[in-house]
Amino acid sequence: MKTSTILFVILSFAMPTLSLVAAGDAHGGVEAAEPGIIAKTAGEFGVTWPTLIAQMINFGLVAIVLYFFAVKPVVKTLDERQQKIADGLQYAEEMKTQLAEAERERAEKIKQAAIDAQKILTEAREQSKEMIEVKTQEAAAQAEAIIRKASEATELERQKMLSDVRQEVARLVVSTTAAVLSKELSDADKQTFSDAAAKELAGSAS
Amino acid sequence: MTRDKKVLRFAKKLVELSSENGIVTEARVSDVLAGLKKTTVRNKGLVLKTYLHYMRRAVAEQTAVVATPGALSAEALAAIESNFTKVYGRPITATTTKDESLIAGVRIRVGDDVYDASVAGRLKRFAESVN
Repeated sequence: MKTSTILFVILSFAMPTLSLVAAGDAHGGVEAAEPGIIAKTAGEFGVTWPTLIAQMINFGLVAIVLYFFAVKPVVKTLDERQQKIADGLQYAEEMKTQLAEAERERAEKIKQAAIDAQKILTEAREQSKEMIEVKTQEAAAQAEAIIRKASEATELERQKMLSDVRQEVARLVVSTTAAVLSKELSDADKQTFSDAAAKELAGSAS
Repeated sequence: MTRDKKVLRFAKKLVELSSENGIVTEARVSDVLAGLKKTTVRNKGLVLKTYLHYMRRAVAEQTAVVATPGALSAEALAAIESNFTKVYGRPITATTTKDESLIAGVRIRVGDDVYDASVAGRLKRFAESVN
């Protein structure tokens, strides 16, 4: 856009110069009475200096007006659009870079998450294994304690039963012996035993 | 029975008066009862009951009650009296009672002491020793 603007200005200033050359040639031709080809042609086309100057001024004014009221806003708009497009492209480039960065971070995070998950899974497996081992040991200890208590209870019960049996047998023996002795001992036997017992008691008491 | 200290002391004094050389005799008891009958003592009934309680204990302490299921020879009784007199340091008189549950042998009681040499007692101790 800058190049076209410069070309437009050069043409704006070149046109009047060419016109002046042509006019100069025409004026010289009058003084030499042999007008040149340029003056001749200008004369044939009706180009005169006042008209040319007026047109040049008119053209300059139009050019100035067009420059300030048409070209300049258009150039400005084009510059703005170009700037916007450049900004958009830069923004898109930045977004692309950011997207790539985000993608890379996401990949890293996924990778790290996978590593962490694997680590947690491994720890969980180890902990569950240890817990299973501990619980197994506790269960074994409890089972052993239960068995020991049951064994002790059984032994106590056995001892109690043996004691009961002994007492019952002793009671039966005593009652049977008492019954037999009551029947079998004669009065003489009883007196003999009683005398002996009395003397034994008297002797032991002294 | 509630006895106050005065009644207890009086009853004990009467028991001491009823004994001669530590032996309760019927004559001394009769004298004590006669004297008690003549005097006016408060709570005489209570005094007499307390006196009776202490007299029973005194008589029991100088008597060997020999329980036996049958007869007992005089020799055995004499041995008991002499030996227990020596043991307790006071005259002990032996009396016999019949107890068929003893089967054979004797059980002697002097005061709160019991000496058992009966068959029933031995069987009982045997049964108690079995556990």
